[in-house]
Amino acid sequence: MSGQVPAAPKAGNPPAAPAQIADMPLEVIGQPGVPFVEIETLRAREFIPAAKEALSSLLKEQAEGKLIRPVFNWAGRNSLFPLHWGLACCAIEFAAAFGARWDAERFGVVPRSSPRQCDLLIVNGTVTWKVAHKLITLYEQMPEPKWAIAMGNCATGGGPFRTAYSVVPGVDKLIPVDVYIAGCPPRPENMLDGILRLEQLIKERGA
Amino acid sequence: MKRDELAASLTARFGDRILGVDAFPGLLGRVRFDSTIALELFRAFRDDLKFVHLTMVGATDWVDHREVFYVLWSDADLVYVLLSTNLPPDAPTIASAVPIWPSANAHEREAWDLVGVRFEGHPDLRRIFMPEGYAYHPLLRSFKIHEPEDLEVKVRSD
Ligand code: SF4
Repeated sequence: MSGQVPAAPKAGNPPAAPAQIADMPLEVIGQPGVPFVEIETLRAREFIPAAKEALSSLLKEQAEGKLIRPVFNWAGRNSLFPLHWGLACCAIEFAAAFGARWDAERFGVVPRSSPRQCDLLIVNGTVTWKVAHKLITLYEQMPEPKWAIAMGNCATGGGPFRTAYSVVPGVDKLIPVDVYIAGCPPRPENMLDGILRLEQLIKERGA
Repeated sequence: MKRDELAASLTARFGDRILGVDAFPGLLGRVRFDSTIALELFRAFRDDLKFVHLTMVGATDWVDHREVFYVLWSDADLVYVLLSTNLPPDAPTIASAVPIWPSANAHEREAWDLVGVRFEGHPDLRRIFMPEGYAYHPLLRSFKIHEPEDLEVKVRSD
């Protein structure tokens, strides 16, 4: 029974074949045929036993030393919590991307205002040397695993102020950056593309 | 008040340490003074001439000297006046205007940070735009535009 995935009773699809979670290719997680989606087809009364069984099989796997990273990876990359550090004009475009028209929240990305609640730091704007140490503090306050996006030319490489005496020529001088979004400012579509690319990156690289 | 009246009253009081009262477009005039009388001059402007408000303090690096200037506003006469003095580039020091006009505080910090003018008697003369420990005054003519990589090394070397 170890590692066996409980098939959903009365599901529309034929029950999925038992599979070791740890052996599954990453793409399978979250696709139809594995439990996390079929949970949606359960009735309320059936949900709790099914969830219990799924959970206990996961825990058993963990006790046997098999990692269940793919699950965490899948869950983590589909619900990123960005801390946005809006320092300059790019923050306006960031706000637009999370507003009604482009609605970045449909990708599970919900901006929070405290670094303790976030796993993604989005630097949008011109970082000066005066606040550089605060950026490092914010990054260090975020719990692991964490990622960082440099949004806009300023955060990527100093932008139009690259040779200025007061501007950090790229936040990768201060913190590790996973995705760079070019543009001055990047369009909201570009911002969304960056987030999707980061999700792809997490999927490929593992959390 | 007219510019020649201002010039007459200032020279009557400070003599040849008032170097000139020039015309200046949009202002009552530009008073050039010797930096040794700074505090008395400020006090005279505030208490006797009723220039109650200090609008800004700025500084410029002219290579052979540094100019510090003050823009004052009079509520009674509804005019601005510009005070300007030259300091030697090797020891650019002048009395702080904070005891006379508290609004000078941030402006003098800015002039110190960017142009390197020391204001004696300033209550808290720290850098304002650049991080503490930064080694340069970046609006000096002698400051070179760095390659960003050089700049990074120099900032971190403190
Ligand atoms: S990249 Fe352009 S839009 Fe973005 S913060 Fe810099 S100057 Fe502003």
